Amino acid sequence: MSVANPANEAPQDGATVQRPPAEVRYADELARLRDTDTGERPPGWALSLTAARRFIVGDPSAGVSRKFVGDPSLIDRALVSLATSRGLMLVGEPGTAKSLLSELLAAAVSGDSTLTVQGGAATTEDQIKYSWNYALLVAEGPNQRSLVRAPLLRGMAEGKVVRFEEITRCPLEVQDCMLSPLSDRVLAIPELTGPDAMVFARDGFNVIATANTRDRGVNEMSAALKRRFNFETVFPIADFDTELALVEAEAGALLRRSGVTAAPRRDVLEVLVTTFRELRTGQSARGDTMERLSAVMSTAEAVSVAHAVGLRGWFLRREAGTAEDLVSCLAGTAAKDNSDDLAKLRRYLEQQLTWRGGAQWKALHAARHQLPG
Amino acid sequence: MTTTFIGVRHHSPACARLVADTIRALRPAHVLVEGPADMNDRVGELLLGHDLPVAVFSSYRDDDRQSGSWAPFCAYSPEWVALQEGHRAGARVRFIDLPSWDPALAERQNRYADAEQRYAEVVDRLCATFAVDNVDALWDHLFEIPPADGLAERLAAYFDLLRGETPVSDGDTGREAYMARWIRAAAADAGERPVVVVTGGFHRPALIRLTAGAAEDVGWPDVPALPEGAVGGSYLVPYSFRRLDAFDGYQSGMPSPEYYQQLWENGPRHAADQLVTAVVGRLRDRKQQASTSDLIAASASAAGLALVRGHQHPGRTDILDGLAGALVHDALDEPLPWATRGRLRAGTHPVVVEMVAALSGSRVGRLHPSTPLPPLVHDADADLEREGLNGDRTVTLALTTDDGLRRSRLLHRLRVLRIPGFTRRHGPRTGVDPVLDEHWDITDHEHRLVALIEAGAYGATLEEAAAAALAERIRDADVAALADALFDAALCGTVRLSGQVLRDLDAAVGGAADLGALGRLLAVVLTLWRHDRLLGTAGSEPLGAVITAAQRRALWLAEGVRGATIPAEPARIDAVVAVRDTMVHAGRRLGLDPLIPLEVMRRVAADVDAPPDLRGAAFGFAWAADAATADPETTGSPPDAVDAGGAGPADEAGGIGNADPADDPGVVGGVEAAGGAGGVDHAGGVHGAVRAVRGAAAPATVGDWLAGLFAVAREEVLHAPRVLDVLDDLVSGMGEAEFLIALPALRQAFTYFPPRERETVAGHLLARRGIGGPGRALLRPPAVDPVLIAAAKELEARVDAVLIREGLLA
Repeated sequence: MSVANPANEAPQDGATVQRPPAEVRYADELARLRDTDTGERPPGWALSLTAARRFIVGDPSAGVSRKFVGDPSLIDRALVSLATSRGLMLVGEPGTAKSLLSELLAAAVSGDSTLTVQGGAATTEDQIKYSWNYALLVAEGPNQRSLVRAPLLRGMAEGKVVRFEEITRCPLEVQDCMLSPLSDRVLAIPELTGPDAMVFARDGFNVIATANTRDRGVNEMSAALKRRFNFETVFPIADFDTELALVEAEAGALLRRSGVTAAPRRDVLEVLVTTFRELRTGQSARGDTMERLSAVMSTAEAVSVAHAVGLRGWFLRREAGTAEDLVSCLAGTAAKDNSDDLAKLRRYLEQQLTWRGGAQWKALHAARHQLPG
Repeated sequence: MTTTFIGVRHHSPACARLVADTIRALRPAHVLVEGPADMNDRVGELLLGHDLPVAVFSSYRDDDRQSGSWAPFCAYSPEWVALQEGHRAGARVRFIDLPSWDPALAERQNRYADAEQRYAEVVDRLCATFAVDNVDALWDHLFEIPPADGLAERLAAYFDLLRGETPVSDGDTGREAYMARWIRAAAADAGERPVVVVTGGFHRPALIRLTAGAAEDVGWPDVPALPEGAVGGSYLVPYSFRRLDAFDGYQSGMPSPEYYQQLWENGPRHAADQLVTAVVGRLRDRKQQASTSDLIAASASAAGLALVRGHQHPGRTDILDGLAGALVHDALDEPLPWATRGRLRAGTHPVVVEMVAALSGSRVGRLHPSTPLPPLVHDADADLEREGLNGDRTVTLALTTDDGLRRSRLLHRLRVLRIPGFTRRHGPRTGVDPVLDEHWDITDHEHRLVALIEAGAYGATLEEAAAAALAERIRDADVAALADALFDAALCGTVRLSGQVLRDLDAAVGGAADLGALGRLLAVVLTLWRHDRLLGTAGSEPLGAVITAAQRRALWLAEGVRGATIPAEPARIDAVVAVRDTMVHAGRRLGLDPLIPLEVMRRVAADVDAPPDLRGAAFGFAWAADAATADPETTGSPPDAVDAGGAGPADEAGGIGNADPADDPGVVGGVEAAGGAGGVDHAGGVHGAVRAVRGAAAPATVGDWLAGLFAVAREEVLHAPRVLDVLDDLVSGMGEAEFLIALPALRQAFTYFPPRERETVAGHLLARRGIGGPGRALLRPPAVDPVLIAAAKELEARVDAVLIREGLLA
């Protein structure tokens, strides 16, 4: 999740790009870091390790914004993994900004975050390695012109970082096509002959994969593939104030975009963020342990609930959202279609609110009956 | 006259080295060290040549509070090095801080915990500036790993920044003023010779400020005397790396003592190698995989991380990060502990746990043989002598006599401290059983002295030490162990528990996951709190706090049990009974809100996903509570609900179930309002019960449901013949197959009635069918020919023998 909100730029064909890639959004900062970079660059890298680190964790003295909220040591480990011969696997709950981190890392290391494979049940090897332009293939046979390069092939040939999003959503056999590029650093194209038949990875090539811990067991990774990655777990934001500030900023921006002029109320957001954090960690502020919800209670979800609360309040009553709106919106996020989660949420609203002071907590408790079901 | 102030972080090898170098270079007249001034007469004891770590333990007791605190020393403690080097350089070495019992230090268990942790905001800002995870990483980055050039200036700059304009607590201000008096006196005494002052870096700026300019000789300050009526003292005890480690203990200073020991002895490069060796050795010992290629990857990552972070050699976190990256091939459930600080959390990856343990080390200190024995040894000897419990013997103690109780407590305290040679053969096991005497085997065990010296770290008297040991046990206990620990506390006569222990108790109860175990805890503690005049725990405040917490937690857990088809569990039902008893017997005295449990129980009773036994019990709870406050006019029971043959629910007012109404009359008073709020679903009284019984009538679950009901609301059922009628109709209406399904659980349910009440039920059933006579006949099966029974038994034995022979039965 982005802390800074850079203005959109780089209009193409008169229209504004909704979300330009990180290397475009932060082009100034990257250029500044590149110009002042005195550190030694690993072979094929656009920046030195220290400059890449400053790009992500921020360096106010150089006018570089902090782009990722999390332990700085995580960034160190991720960058060092990318400089070694192992790939980097970012795992964690959904909504913990794994994809953003992978984008920032790729932009810092290669200056290009667009070599991306989106994993899914329908992902095939073609979309990862290469495929053919069939008209040219029929006309000219297999050659460099008829070859359509997919991200992995391009990353290897150009010496860039390839991003593989949601790798565990791919079938196991598709995942395994990453094995030889990662260990032997070579990709064979048997249809071509001569030197074109083997693409050797150039310096700077590596892979950042992301995987969702909620998908564990759906498509478990093979041990062979696991061994070729260094695992880094990305955790939800540990600090309450940081998370609250982030939710406030992001939800405020979303609401403004939706035409709501009332800013979200801070006391309602505090209740919301506390609720999310307690249901996520399974521990109340008083120290009681509870079962965690099986639904995702990420910061991103908190932002979307805060957005929904604001919309409800504004379009129903022309005011900022209240704790009652929160109850209605929580059901959709926290419980979804899972009756167990709904029961857990109800139990939380019934038993874990009464001992707290604060008007919004009381309002939330009073509104608990609005929970559907 | 020059005074050199060295601000240190406690347990920092870099600071220790600076202290040693400074003292060697200056050869000062006085070395002043932050530490308990009441130890000054006995500094010699510290110089005897102990195996480190050791600690100065200070105990204190007066009418209001009781505390114990430690000032631990290891080889790389700057304070320790100052003592040793100062002595070697011929300086006069003194401690200059207030004694540990002073109110300024009252809440501290470890004198050498980081002061800046109390002022966390500045530290957070610094960590953000240097982009490191926490203060430990920051410290290594700034001071432990870089070369020592200009260390003193860097430390001074760091602590000046840290102290800055931060307002400090009154306690710290008082300590600083006291330390400044020692420094002024030493400076005046030293004349032209140098003075070295070694204190926590956080205090350094203030001490410089306070001692600047003032040169007049004010004389040495007095060591504060213990307040009137208070008992206390300081003495040396062995300590351990485990207790020193911030990942394990409370209020500790730096983490990973074994790593810093290596750093102190051999420098960063060797410490790094040693660390990797220790981790891999440990992992392989535990059959965890750590291949050569993993190690290569770990070293490469550690070197890379050191490079990124600008370290000349890989530091502690570089290596740990490198190892974690190479050895952990899964998603983590908990963040890496060195990124967060504090104690290890449950769910930490096992490889990470081993890594942390390897860095912690297992060193245990040992005192030099000529160290004066800790007072506990003398106290224990004197107590045993006085009570005539020396030598090998077997004693029987009557707990009802003062004499017996006093001796029993003495023996239990020794047992709790794990002093060998004191074994109890017989005695009360819980507060519930009516056992009034104890048998003990006492032997003069060869390890008694050693064990007493070790236990000396817990306190100066057996009473104190046992209380401290129990406090430690409570801190680590789960709910099942908690009941034992509390009972042990009762046996030891430890009625007062400190605020910290109460918080630990609260946390342990708040983390309980098993309703049955929690119910047992609640039942035991409630009994101790209500009745126990023998051990003197009746009405004790800590137990009251436990009851409050356990009741709250039991309600939380009760509402979370899922599974409409899971079988009955007596422990779960008993937990509801315990909650009910709590409300009846302790509700008013502990100020528990009667509405909260009632609402929870109503929700559980109505929850189709809850197990039937729990629903039945919850229904019984609500019924009993309603009955207790019911007024025939307002219960809302239609007239037909009140059976002419039985007493109406109104007769039950004042008590619930088998509660003793005299104990806490009317405690559930006020629930009436809730009854109204509950809506039509909770139509109270017999009518509601009839409907509920009909609703629970599925053959597979009716027995479990009734078991819950009978356990909690036996009396109500007996006095509501209409409920029995409905039940009778339901059972009579079952087909044979259904009846066979329902039978085992029904049997179990009716065991909640004692025989006399079962007879009442049977009599009612007979009367319903127009058959006269006592119900006893119905309960007693017709006599069977004993020969037949013998034949059946023989047949069973033969079948068993065959099955066992063929290996079909274990």
